[in-house]
Parts: sequence; structure tokens; C-alpha cells
Amino acid sequence: MPPKDDPETAKLKQELQALIEQCKGKQKSVADTTLEAATSSVEDIPRIKASTRRMLKGHINKVTSCHYSGDSRHLVSGSLDGKLIVWDTWTGNKIQVIPLRSAWVMCSVFAPSGNYVACGGMDNMCTVYDVNNRDSSGAAKITRELAGYEGFLSTCRFLEDGKIVTGSGDMMITVWDLEAGKKLDQTPAHVGDVCSMSLKVEQNIIVTGSVDRCIKLWDVRTLKCTQTFFGHEADVNSVCFHPSGTAFVSASEDKTARLFDIRSDQQVCVYRPPTANSSLTCCSVSQSGRILLAGSDDSTVHLWDLLKGEHNGNLQGHENRITGLSVADSGLGIATSSWDNAVRVWG
Amino acid sequence: MSNLQQQRLVVEQLRREAAIKRITVRQAVADIMKYVNDHQQDDCLMIGFSSQKANPFREKSSCSVL
Repeated sequence: MPPKDDPETAKLKQELQALIEQCKGKQKSVADTTLEAATSSVEDIPRIKASTRRMLKGHINKVTSCHYSGDSRHLVSGSLDGKLIVWDTWTGNKIQVIPLRSAWVMCSVFAPSGNYVACGGMDNMCTVYDVNNRDSSGAAKITRELAGYEGFLSTCRFLEDGKIVTGSGDMMITVWDLEAGKKLDQTPAHVGDVCSMSLKVEQNIIVTGSVDRCIKLWDVRTLKCTQTFFGHEADVNSVCFHPSGTAFVSASEDKTARLFDIRSDQQVCVYRPPTANSSLTCCSVSQSGRILLAGSDDSTVHLWDLLKGEHNGNLQGHENRITGLSVADSGLGIATSSWDNAVRVWG
Repeated sequence: MSNLQQQRLVVEQLRREAAIKRITVRQAVADIMKYVNDHQQDDCLMIGFSSQKANPFREKSSCSVL
């Protein structure tokens, strides 16, 4: 028999349960309609016609991530071959190949300015490279090597050229000042690995998804959690803000993608592929917010009408698991990375 | 941090989260729909490229200097 709780712990546990019920009750009381019902009058959209416009070949091992620069033209990809490649997606040319000190790269991101790229993974570090300056060997200069993680680096985002926020396997989110090379703030974020994050710069908020199946919203200035969202039944692999800023989408090991609304504080839609037998690894939204895209273990990117919940087809071409998905800010291109060693640009 | 202290923090966090103001799903969805409606005609994934000039993947024809 486990030991009995002391009176204070027992009281807290009771209050916890009561608060959980209170939250559920309040969410239910504002759920005066469903997404499908509210959008029933919206016209259906035709089948999306997008195809591979560029095959970016160069990596010689699984590509684990890709991310557009703010110019909607340049893209960075990271691969287990121990390289970052910066591409010009319009011509398909490689602009730079950056050899990494560790091949176990799990995330690679571009600063919106296009001046820096950051990456990290099983080396438990986040390394920032200056795209415009080379070191004596001709490779992109390392601006900062950020150590101090007790777990792998799973995700990061530049808040500005001099500031980066990261999510890691030690369940923390950390904000770094890149000029000083120091941690500005850090907080335990989840009760499992932080897998993914998405940033809304204008509103100073980030959303994080975790192995603990929860999604949390944070004020990036204080690193205080403002809301927690439940719904997924397994690891949340990816989260992405809806361009409206009032909602976000997520993709999970539970083979669904979901839409969560921030101000009504709840999940408002579940999206399932016609044969839901593969995890969804990454997600994003088209520029207008009408199309939800999610990369899958089944090698395709699934598309849904975000407003009506209906599956709209797939982007087919990759030959293995899709690991990363990035929609250019301009909406003119969608990039995908895969275990088939390739990066594709669709449009 | 002791278990008890952690429990206190969790409960305090949940008190804050329970207290937030929530709007109706009807209002929330209406706002999302409005945003999408306002931007749909510019969404290249949906309508394609507005002209060949706008298509960054088009074959670039060679220029001749006269």
C-alpha cells in the first residue's frame, strides 16, 4: 500500500482535480458550435494541384529538417550526413554547404533576416552560423556554440538576429542572447521532451508541443505558460501557428492533425488521413490559412481544407518518411525534407 | 524542489489557466473564417501563380542585349 498523503498534499490534489474539472466545464460552456457546423456555408475548395518544382539533391543521408529564410527563396536543410545546406530554391542551386561538428542534427532553422542559421541535435548544443562570413577554412563562421543542455536540441527559432529560443529533450525552453552568448531565461516547460515550437513574433508568443501530449502557449518575454491544450493521444511532433494568429495546428504520433483555438481555449477540429495508419511528423498552414499540410511517415504530405475538415489529397514524390515541412512566408513555395535524402520544393 | 513545492506550483499554474477569459467557439471560428476569406485570393497554393512572372520556378528565357 503506498503511504498516505500528508494533509496539504491531499488538499492540493483535490484542488487540482477540481481545477481540471473547472477548466473542462468552462471550455464546454463556450463550445456553442463545432468548426464543421460553423463553416457549413463556406464553399468547398477544388483539389489542390501542386507538384515538385525543385528536387534539391545533395545530402547523402537522411534529411531531418528544413526551414525557409524570411526572403521566401533561401532554405536551410540539415542531414545525418553531418551537413547543413543552404539552397536557392528558385534555381535549385546550393549556396553553401556547412560541415557540422556533430552529424546528429535534428533541427535547422534560418533567421528571418537570412543572416544566420542555427542547428542542433544529439550533441546537446545549439550552434549558430553566420551565412555571410566565412572562417579561414572557407566554411560559414560559427557565431555561437550554445551548450548547457541536458538533452538533445529538438527545436529552435530566432526571435531576432541576436536572440534565439530553443526547446530540448531535457523538457526546457531556453532564451539566449547570441551577442553575449548567455542564457537570458530558461524554464521547465513540459513533463516530456519538447519536440516542436512555433513563434508569433508580433504577439511575443510561442507554442510548444511535447512528448507529454500537451501543447503549451508561452509569453516569450517572461517564459510564463499562459495556456495548456489537451487532445492528442500520443507525442505531439509538430506545432505551427495559423496565420490569423488566433489558432494553431499540430501533428502527432497519434496519426491525427488538430486545430486548436487560443481564445476559446480548446481543440476545434481533428484531421485524419483516409487511411490513418501513419504518424504525422510535421505540419504547417498555407498562406491564407485555408489549407492544412502535414508530413507523414507514409512519405506523403497530406492536405486538408482546414475550415471544413476534409482531406484534399497528398503531395507525392518522396520515397521515405517526411521529416520537415516549411511554407515560405510569401506562400510561393513549400519545402519538405525526407529520410530519402532529398529536399523537395512544391508549388 | 520538493514534491510538495512542485504540487503547489502546478496548482497555482492551473488556477491562472482556469481563470482566463474564453470567447465562444462560434466567435473564434468566425474570426478564422474572416482571415481566410480576406487572404484566400492571394494564396498561391490554392489559386496557382497569378502570372508566369510571379512563378519563381518558371523557365527563365534568355535575354538578348540589342
